[in-house]
Amino acid sequence: MTAVLEATGLHKRFGKLVAVEEVSLHLAPGEVLAFLGPNGAGKTTTIKMLAGLLFPDQGQVRLMGKDPHRDPWALRHLGAVLEGNRNVYWRMTAQENLVYFGVARGLRFAEASRRAQNILEQLGLVEKSRTEVRHLSRGMQQKLSLGVALMHHPELLLLDEPTLGLDVESALRVEEMVRGLAREGKAILLTTHQLEVAQRLASRLAIIQRGKILLEGRTAEVLGRFAGEHYVVELETPPPLPPERLASLRALGLEGEGPSYVYHGDGEGLWRLLEALKPWPLKKVARAETDLLEVFLKVVGRA
Amino acid sequence: MLDLFWVEFKRSWLYLRRYPSEFVGAVVTLSILFLLLFLGARFLAGPSAEFGERTEALLAGFLLWTLTLFSYSSLSFGLSEEAQTGTLEQVFLTPYGPIPLLLVRNLAGLGTQLLLMGSIALVLLLITGARLSFTPLLLLPITTVLLGGYGLGFAMASLALLFKRVQQLLGISQFLLIFLLQYPLESSGWLAKLGYFMPLVPGADLTRQMMVKEAALDWNLLGLALINGLAYLALGIVVFSRAVQAAKRRGLLFGY
Repeated sequence: MTAVLEATGLHKRFGKLVAVEEVSLHLAPGEVLAFLGPNGAGKTTTIKMLAGLLFPDQGQVRLMGKDPHRDPWALRHLGAVLEGNRNVYWRMTAQENLVYFGVARGLRFAEASRRAQNILEQLGLVEKSRTEVRHLSRGMQQKLSLGVALMHHPELLLLDEPTLGLDVESALRVEEMVRGLAREGKAILLTTHQLEVAQRLASRLAIIQRGKILLEGRTAEVLGRFAGEHYVVELETPPPLPPERLASLRALGLEGEGPSYVYHGDGEGLWRLLEALKPWPLKKVARAETDLLEVFLKVVGRA
Repeated sequence: MLDLFWVEFKRSWLYLRRYPSEFVGAVVTLSILFLLLFLGARFLAGPSAEFGERTEALLAGFLLWTLTLFSYSSLSFGLSEEAQTGTLEQVFLTPYGPIPLLLVRNLAGLGTQLLLMGSIALVLLLITGARLSFTPLLLLPITTVLLGGYGLGFAMASLALLFKRVQQLLGISQFLLIFLLQYPLESSGWLAKLGYFMPLVPGADLTRQMMVKEAALDWNLLGLALINGLAYLALGIVVFSRAVQAAKRRGLLFGY
């Protein structure tokens, strides 16, 4: 599949600080990549390089095969909601912002006007279309920023903390929009500190720290890999395991206090443990599930 | 590009319509400033005694200064404001590129600038009782002054982009524009010749002659003024283009 975004070997240094080192990212249509990392890890620097706002010292960026640093029309393929920014003009209404930025991104005026109406409906902002942005709530402003990024039908969306500061309902609505956009075939690069949001939305994830990508892979595979290291073994109670029996089971890798134990090890070891437990009544044996928070903390903590 | 001009034009009129107090404030402030200058006219009219002694000369110079002031400073103020409010990066994400967009923005903002200058002119003509000649042909030398003003504006905007806080410099340099707009091109010697190469000077001289002396349009001087204006506009754009490259290298487009 043709990559919408192809960034290879990005390096960026500010004075003595190496902000980004050998970062490569690619995104195919319909993919949502969660780009995660602690503050100062290099996420924003990378995003600015992808958006053509910051020149990399080394490496290259291609948006639909075009270099945004040399060919500004490559930016026609990109929509961005940049974190910490208002992204929109406060003295203009929601509708005026959408039309202005639509035209500034290359749409004709009539097309931008039509598209603005559609976006306002999609975002549930029709009633506020003639309200100046400074009078809108933070959630509405955030939704409008997303609308502005979508105006010109870009193939790639860079969403930096798109649900930050939103109330639950608005956040869920934005999440649903992101899912819908991915289904339509848009490639989405999402950065967020809300890892549960990332886990719900992302088909792939990349974790960056100190400018280097530490982990990259499909979300399900990564979660499976991290969870695959241990199993939950739950026994029926009573009766409790006698101490001498428990000691021999611990030698096989059983950990924790009953009735719910954890086994760290591979599948073969698990069978040996289950054999040793026979005929003790089992309530549950399951591969332990992990979440993105756990993965993130492990990866970042290990580094 | 026409559509871009249209939305920029709408944007500048929307601001004017929605925030009329800013417009009225500018008219009042600049009118008061002129009256203060008027009181010290002999001192501030420049080395030319011929113009210094006449209210009309001072007023023509002042109106030209007002217009040039906006063409010169609006880009820097705009960029600083956008960097502060967080829309600058969205402006730089346009596939047209920042320079064409800002050029269109300048052009689209001309209407509101001319309205502002017209309002100030009306107020001051009423207060001072001065008489100025306004012929349609006057637009030609004014355009050459504006071209130079935009060129200087792009150069100053380069500093705004790289150093962010240039308000002080902008404030001081605005008064240097008075020097350029009142430069005695009609005098003899090498100083006059030097004036042809200085920004704004030929166009400003021609405008003053037409407004104050009701002189006919000097097409030769207009040609020189046009070349001068275009040259400084091109120079300003080249400088700004270099500044954009530097800002993108050093990560100065974001963060204020």
